[in-house]
Amino acid sequence: MAIAQAMCNSFKKELMLGTHNFATNGNTFKLALYAEGGGGKSSTTATLGFGTTAYTTTGEIANSGSYSAGGGALTKVAPSVATSTSTATAFADFADISFTTATITAMGALIYNDTNSDKAVCVLDFTSNKTSTSGTFTVQFPTADASNAIIRIA
Amino acid sequence: MFNVGISQAGKVNVMTSDKGGLTNEQIADLAVDKIVSISDQAPAHIRQQANQFREHLKNVLYHYLLLARKEERGSIIQVLESSGHKEMAEYIRRL
Repeated sequence: MAIAQAMCNSFKKELMLGTHNFATNGNTFKLALYAEGGGGKSSTTATLGFGTTAYTTTGEIANSGSYSAGGGALTKVAPSVATSTSTATAFADFADISFTTATITAMGALIYNDTNSDKAVCVLDFTSNKTSTSGTFTVQFPTADASNAIIRIA
Repeated sequence: MFNVGISQAGKVNVMTSDKGGLTNEQIADLAVDKIVSISDQAPAHIRQQANQFREHLKNVLYHYLLLARKEERGSIIQVLESSGHKEMAEYIRRL
């Protein structure tokens, strides 16, 4: 599979190095959209997964509407952890992101740290092509809790 | 020894539209998905109750989304009419 959902291996190491700061006043994270089957700009195909280490233009969708190369900046929600249990899961979240008046076909996305050398965080696999035609393309993040949040550490 | 586990990335939901923005129903769906999550592990009767609540919530949100858009259009129409753009105001009234 060219785009496989994963928390990038490099991200796990970089967490220990303090590379990523998810505080609301921390680093800037972006979400870029990718296509398979030569649907990326210049007919490129994305290959993204656990081994992805940084943002790449290969397979990224072409500019359209409010989407431009590199994707959109994500609005962070401060990391949280439940304190009511002895062992709890910490999680980070982002606000949903939309690209408007855009013609887009994307199969997945990459979240990356725009502040620190575009280092990869995670790959999102949409499992099928999602298409907007002169319309809105919205990526909704899961409920921010210990079971569903986009990034969780147990 | 401490074992820290990092989960797989959570599952996102993608909503798209053609020739315009998201519909009221799509926005209501997005809101409900954010508010209500039902565990696959929950007992059947709890899931059923949660699903009914989810549908009720969606209907309420849908109603107020319609109202919000209608009221906003009303405000825009008023501004356009009061500044002499009656034709444009009429276009918006017909949306």
